[in-house]
Amino acid sequence: MRSRLLKSALEMVEPTWGKILSKQSNEALAGIRVIELGQMISAPYCAKLFADFGADVIKVEAPASTGLPGDLSRHWGPFPSDEPHLEKSGTFFFLNTNKRSVTLDVAQEKGRAILKKLLAQADVLIENCHPGQMREWGLDFAALQKINPRLVMISITPFGQTGPYCDWKGYDLNAYHLSGASHRYCGRPGEAPLEHGTFAADFFGAISAATWGLAAVYGRSLVAQNAEGGGQQLDVSCAEAIAAAFVGGQNIGGYAQDGKFEHRTGVGMPLGAPATIVPCKDGYVWMLALEPGQWNGLAKVMGNPEWMQLDLFQDMYARAQNADAIYPMLQEWTMEHSKQEIMDLCQANGCPVTAVYNVAEAAAQEHLKVREYLVHLAHPHLGTIPTLGAPFKLPKSPGGPKRPAPLLGEHNQEVYGEMLSQDAALLTTWKRDGII
Amino acid sequence: MANKLPLQKIRVANFGWVWAGPVVGQTLGFLGAEVYKIESRARIDLTRNLPPFAEGVRDPNRSLSNHACWAGNGSITLNLKKDEAKQLALDFIAKCDVVIENFGPGVMKQLGFGYEELCKVKPDIVMFSMPAAGLYGPLKDIRTYGLSLTSTTGLDSLTGYLDGAPIPVENAYSDPYNGILGAFAIVAALHYRDRSGEGQHIDYSQQEAIMQMVGPAYMDYVLNGRVAGPIENRHPRAMASPHGVFPCAGDDRWISIAVLTDEEWQGLQCAVKKAAGSDASWIDAPEFATHEARLAHIASLHEKLAMWTKQFGDTELAARLQAAGVAAAPVLNVADLLNNPHYKARKTFLEVTHPLGFEETIYGAYVKMSESEPAVRPGPSMGQDNEHVFKNLLGLPEARYAKLVEEQIIY
Repeated sequence: MRSRLLKSALEMVEPTWGKILSKQSNEALAGIRVIELGQMISAPYCAKLFADFGADVIKVEAPASTGLPGDLSRHWGPFPSDEPHLEKSGTFFFLNTNKRSVTLDVAQEKGRAILKKLLAQADVLIENCHPGQMREWGLDFAALQKINPRLVMISITPFGQTGPYCDWKGYDLNAYHLSGASHRYCGRPGEAPLEHGTFAADFFGAISAATWGLAAVYGRSLVAQNAEGGGQQLDVSCAEAIAAAFVGGQNIGGYAQDGKFEHRTGVGMPLGAPATIVPCKDGYVWMLALEPGQWNGLAKVMGNPEWMQLDLFQDMYARAQNADAIYPMLQEWTMEHSKQEIMDLCQANGCPVTAVYNVAEAAAQEHLKVREYLVHLAHPHLGTIPTLGAPFKLPKSPGGPKRPAPLLGEHNQEVYGEMLSQDAALLTTWKRDGII
Repeated sequence: MANKLPLQKIRVANFGWVWAGPVVGQTLGFLGAEVYKIESRARIDLTRNLPPFAEGVRDPNRSLSNHACWAGNGSITLNLKKDEAKQLALDFIAKCDVVIENFGPGVMKQLGFGYEELCKVKPDIVMFSMPAAGLYGPLKDIRTYGLSLTSTTGLDSLTGYLDGAPIPVENAYSDPYNGILGAFAIVAALHYRDRSGEGQHIDYSQQEAIMQMVGPAYMDYVLNGRVAGPIENRHPRAMASPHGVFPCAGDDRWISIAVLTDEEWQGLQCAVKKAAGSDASWIDAPEFATHEARLAHIASLHEKLAMWTKQFGDTELAARLQAAGVAAAPVLNVADLLNNPHYKARKTFLEVTHPLGFEETIYGAYVKMSESEPAVRPGPSMGQDNEHVFKNLLGLPEARYAKLVEEQIIY
């Protein structure tokens, strides 16, 4: 790309530029430009993965003139003291680090014309609009490919771009429960199947999209049929990704062959014991002791009670068959000890028991401090507050949040100036017309 | 024109075992990478012994769940207890771009495959390690299983019925999740390698990657000191009502319904009133008239909605609600996955022929690419790629290869 050539030329002649660029190029995804047309969780988290590892992510948000400004998660909070404020949403703060924000009303023809100019200079578009919406706007892949044949378009939706449900309306909840995950794996029999207590489907869709999408960017020159091309659309259904890689992997072969399948039980691992969440003095522990060494480690921690020495109980399957007897006896002991005590004692004795930490306890772990997982960022409205750091460490090209989530339209001037060389007067006109 | 895949020039040695590690290789494989699991008959992976087996025949090459989870990885067998096997592994790694492993910290080093050793044979190697809690820190040697690892992230504390105990998820969501996101880390490192000429040793803590999923709840703690408990199927930011799973006619049949906007609520009102034979007056009650009111009275709204939904079949009701503009979908069980028209149309699951000749059903490319046809390969049989790797790639003469097999070094 010309701009990159220009940059490397600058690097040779202009030492200051060179310094700035070499600092940037330390990041794994430096040089990749992403346009995000994302709302809520899935597309924003996918784009955050790009941004936190060095891509230039420009988030396109609805301006105030639309009546519902910005990413919906700006309206979701949590807000300090529960007072709604566009710039104080914790969910938005977490999901949009390292990004730049521009406002643009893509519902207007003029707004879409500007978006297309941005897309012509981008490597990636990450979006989670309803497929019908993108078609209606003339922003479907066929149209965008004509503008930029190198564009990788990552589309994340609950159900996907094709298939009988593609026009359905859906949210994270609907996607998760369409995957089989809840019916098979979480909840008590006879009661409602449960999702993890978060946007589990959106996150799973987001990471699938990020991985496949980044690979598509990496291999563009291999995929290209000629010097110009190599872009493509990635169609990610959050429901399908979970149905396949989580539920399908473990269950579908057996069902297809034998016609038998299993349901949730409410117990962590019903075939072996102990293997479930049990209460303790100050909360819960994930009690796991399956192999003989683990079981004997647990027995040792518990002071080798006589019943645990029974030969019969050396076998995890036999223990599971006697779960009604075993769990109450274990619980008698766990109720006398704290989760941390139980975890520390068991871990020291070869037994893989872990505390069920609440969010506060999880964040307070010394381990995470040592690993500098939590990162403090200064935000103009929220002050300096912590957020979760990079999901993995690339030692030579460290990632993670460095800049806080942008204010709504914070980078209008910068981005439009840089990419469209628009002067201040035109920006004022756009603003007057409610386009930005 | 020949199918072009974005990672087709990348070769991977995958020491990963059980689930998460193999999925990293699988993900790269879908995208065109040439991936080989390094395994051995001397220490058979426990997931190869998980029932059910193809045609009911118990054999480490016939575990159906193992194949679906590993599909896309090739396989070479090396008995790493033997020095010659170690040298062959290093010779192979010298021809790879990426090495994957999900042992505990330090195990690769003990085996003679520490990062420094790998750099000696391949200076720009990308080594990917994904221990439970990362390569360093006081918890680095923590013992967990994928299904309980989530307890150390706060995620389990949010999962369960309202005001009740946490309910365990009965399998390791974190394994495929980390397997897929792990491949992102690798491709990011490949981007960096191609630009800088440098490889690196990726420290992927499964705990930290999964903990991102509690981000919104964590921010509520940061901003308000609030510590959330189990939320059932409620909206994690309490921005929707109704938002839950409701019973339908039939055995263990359910529907998910999420109403975020006023338009969706009006759609639900229409759908409820249209349904013949039920008293629909509750849907117009003043306590449900506004978004705020519905959030405040979510428990009674859910109760009344459940009385209504249970008159209908799940798929029938989902179609009816969708027609009214309401986000609703059936709650599928495992059998439904295979028979569902949407997954059928998207070819989510497909029957393949295993190298040993039997048919089995696995999942295919769960992400669709417009210009590339992702590579779908059946689960590997142990050592299926030995001849190709050791003879073609490493150039071992036939006699030497045969001797190594006989001495159970290639084993």
